[in-house]
Amino acid sequence: MPQRTGERERCVTGIDGLDTILYGGIPRANTILLTGSCGTGKTSLALEFLIHGAVKGESSLFISVTENSEKLLANIIPYLFFDKSLIKSGRLVFIDLPVMYERLGMTKAELDMEEIDLLVAAIASLAKELGTRRLVVDSITSVCYKLRTSEKIRDFILKLSKALSDLDCTSILVSEVAAGATSYSMFGVEEAISDGIVLMANMERRGDLLRTLQVIKMRGTMHSRAKYVLDLTPVGVLLVPLLKGGSIV
Amino acid sequence: MTDVKMAQNLADQLGEISPSSAVSLQMSVDNYLEVLRGMIDLFANRRGMDTVYVTATISFEAIKRILQALDIDTSKIYFVDCISHIMMGASASQLDEHTTLVESPTMLENLMLKVEYLLRRSQAKEKLVIIDSINSLAIHNNNWILSEFLHILVSGLRAKEAYSIILSVEEHSTPELNNIVNLVCDQGLRASGKEV
Repeated sequence: MPQRTGERERCVTGIDGLDTILYGGIPRANTILLTGSCGTGKTSLALEFLIHGAVKGESSLFISVTENSEKLLANIIPYLFFDKSLIKSGRLVFIDLPVMYERLGMTKAELDMEEIDLLVAAIASLAKELGTRRLVVDSITSVCYKLRTSEKIRDFILKLSKALSDLDCTSILVSEVAAGATSYSMFGVEEAISDGIVLMANMERRGDLLRTLQVIKMRGTMHSRAKYVLDLTPVGVLLVPLLKGGSIV
Repeated sequence: MTDVKMAQNLADQLGEISPSSAVSLQMSVDNYLEVLRGMIDLFANRRGMDTVYVTATISFEAIKRILQALDIDTSKIYFVDCISHIMMGASASQLDEHTTLVESPTMLENLMLKVEYLLRRSQAKEKLVIIDSINSLAIHNNNWILSEFLHILVSGLRAKEAYSIILSVEEHSTPELNNIVNLVCDQGLRASGKEV
């Protein structure tokens, strides 16, 4: 899609439907909250975002917090465009955050402000070293459990976003919410300070469970705010508009 | 008109339409076999097309059996079956890369997504999508959502330069349903005992 004058450079996600919804992609260096309850496809979408980047030659980094990255890779959708050489060549890197905690000596259940700075610096340093252009943290909610207070969560996300943005890195923070939750994040802070919110959900309609995606906010671009139904397939995430005639739950 | 002539006549008429076209094909129940032969064997297969066959009427297995009995090559047909799952009639062992199940004919968005997926995987130059049938989908969906579905589906298929054929069974059609189909189709064909 041609850029209009004054528009920000885009990070083309490679997910056709999403790029269309965002009028060309995520504004480069934005930090996005990808939020939803379990089983909505957040990790798959985030992974696809990184794989497309790696295929294009952009260094991509997945920071796994909840799941061991080996297990994650074992369960990955057999994407037709995924090649393990992306990992071998270092264009797609997986890091387990618990290992990073251990190396940084962060053994306490709750991180203090000093440790937050240390963690942000460690992630930024790694991203800089790898020349990372795309980054995913899955999930930011699990990190937030170690921060506990709203102040610390705000501080951590703001500092991390700033550090990654300075590196011209486009980031996705995966956020978990309970099914039927009315807010977009577990602690209510994450949503307010991210540049964009992409909400994924399970929508029940007459007994059918549909996976949906909706862009709630995205700084730096116009975007559709409609709800789309998605499918996770070997050719990637596919999206179609939710049919309105069936919107009566 | 003989059965063979009817099938050939249908194929000839389909051969005159251009890619991106949507055709409403109204048929009599009695002419189902000739319609299958005309659309798939004499039109799509002869032109090397990949066919995405969306079935909401009978299971993909039943259609496959019919096609095989008619000695029609099924190697370029990909089924999107919306009925086997709700009939609890599908098992994983029956599925292959030629068959995709949609849990229910009410999941019209998923139906579109499966068609999209198969078209993206297709390497064929020309592609045909058959909806069998609008009457069966109408059993499970109201006219409002059905109309919206057809509009989005057919518009998407046009953009991909795929041919689309929407089958309707004249014995079960209503003026409302015919209007919904006619609204999105460029051309209407009829396959009955008298003429095509």
